[in-house]
Amino acid sequence: MFEFDLFELTRATVTMVVGLTAVLASLGVILCSAPIYCALYLIGHMICLALLFLLYNAEFIAAVQLIVYAGAVMILFLFIIALLGGKKEIQEPSTERSVAIVFVATMLGELFFSAAVGPTKPIEGVFDIQTVAEVGGSAKAIGLELFSRHVVSFELASVLLLVAAVGIICLSKFSYVPVRRRLK
Amino acid sequence: MIMLDDVMKFFEQYAYLIIGSVKAFVIAGALLGIVPALVWLERRLMGRFQVRLGPNRVGPFGLGQPISDSIKLLFKESIIQSSADKFLFHLAPAIVVFTAIVTFAVIPFGEPVKILGQEIGLWVANVNIGLLFVFAISGMGVYGMVLAGLASNNKYSLMGGLRSSAQMISYELTLGLAALSIIVLTGSLSLIDMVNSQALYPNILIQPLAFLMFFIAGIAETNRAPFDLPEAEQELVAGFHTEYTGMKFAMFFMGEYINMVTMSALVTLLFLGGWNTYGVPVWPILAFSGKVLFLLCVFIWLRSTYPRIRYDRLMTFGWKVLVPLSLLNLLITSTLVVL
Repeated sequence: MFEFDLFELTRATVTMVVGLTAVLASLGVILCSAPIYCALYLIGHMICLALLFLLYNAEFIAAVQLIVYAGAVMILFLFIIALLGGKKEIQEPSTERSVAIVFVATMLGELFFSAAVGPTKPIEGVFDIQTVAEVGGSAKAIGLELFSRHVVSFELASVLLLVAAVGIICLSKFSYVPVRRRLK
Repeated sequence: MIMLDDVMKFFEQYAYLIIGSVKAFVIAGALLGIVPALVWLERRLMGRFQVRLGPNRVGPFGLGQPISDSIKLLFKESIIQSSADKFLFHLAPAIVVFTAIVTFAVIPFGEPVKILGQEIGLWVANVNIGLLFVFAISGMGVYGMVLAGLASNNKYSLMGGLRSSAQMISYELTLGLAALSIIVLTGSLSLIDMVNSQALYPNILIQPLAFLMFFIAGIAETNRAPFDLPEAEQELVAGFHTEYTGMKFAMFFMGEYINMVTMSALVTLLFLGGWNTYGVPVWPILAFSGKVLFLLCVFIWLRSTYPRIRYDRLMTFGWKVLVPLSLLNLLITSTLVVL
């Protein structure tokens, strides 16, 4: 009686549904005409990605995805849309649009072509569930990996971000001078 | 009988599922039920602080007041102005309440107990990234306020929504940095590990600065006075919920009060030693609830003591005082831990 594994079945179904929702949400981002709904679809897509990470036992990445992308980055998007007042775009055919359609069709064709080559192979990572459990949590596993083997690239990335932050402050702080001159 | 045995056997292996759902329902229900009680407590205490009585007509000590208020809110007409975005207008309060309740899922409030041979932890989920989960989900709560401001199609609502998002992003930084010094001390993101590491003395004794900054940032995160800029009555009518009526209006308050409980519970877990009793002969769970109740009273006390601070000063205070201080505190803590 009841031989099938309910847990695995539920898990597979949930993964499928979340993945499909992610694809539909990303379609919504490019097909929707109101900017605010586009931003909301993008948030939905990012939440789905976080859920997928969670389903594959990467809790730390899921939380970081939510905090950084769905939380901090997208709230700035909404901020700008709110300040600029997102108006609905009027959809009309144009040359740019036909070029874009040709481009998308080419990409799709290439995708199908690559599918014809043969079965795809999953990329094997350093960690599986056992090693993560041995290390003691996904946060610790990522920390160990990041600060031992990838420490140079990690530090370089942080320097890059710092330069960007300093640059933004320079651009926004010192461009006020001509405005003041004009007011005089 | 064979049928019944089979059914029992079938359910036995999914016991964790059943226990989990029951726990989720109980905690969500308790959180929703605590809101009217908190409103009553706030009104009574505010009355005392301002040398007046507070609600005292309905029932003994005005205890019937929250019931009558909820019934009134349920039966009020729900008004939506025609220029509003209907879908987002309905979605916004739901996001606020949903995120507030889900955040509480990882908050533990006692040691595991044994009931009917099953070990039951007094939490909904014990994830090893507990604290990050709290920050991730409570960060989602900002969307409720921003969307309410955007969907209302009203200048005051929009200003309130923008202010709330700016304020919450600014103070989330301090909140995270203050919590980070505790994470560095404990060496774990799990809230249960944090409580266990405070078995001898609470963290507030060795991290008083982090406690102060976490609490200040927590008040700003929950949009409570003196940081309730998003809903400043004198300037913005009622901020992001100007256009809301009836139960949808009440849902914003439900979210705010549940966030208050979650924030108090977090402060208790991180700094006040959670359910550790430190020799006082009470049940651990009572010790935890007592600490949370005390912090809730401090929230209300602060509201009736301090005037609202100006918006630019709020931002200056957050970015030029709290963030450098918490960075310094983190630097000193991690240096000491490494040494």
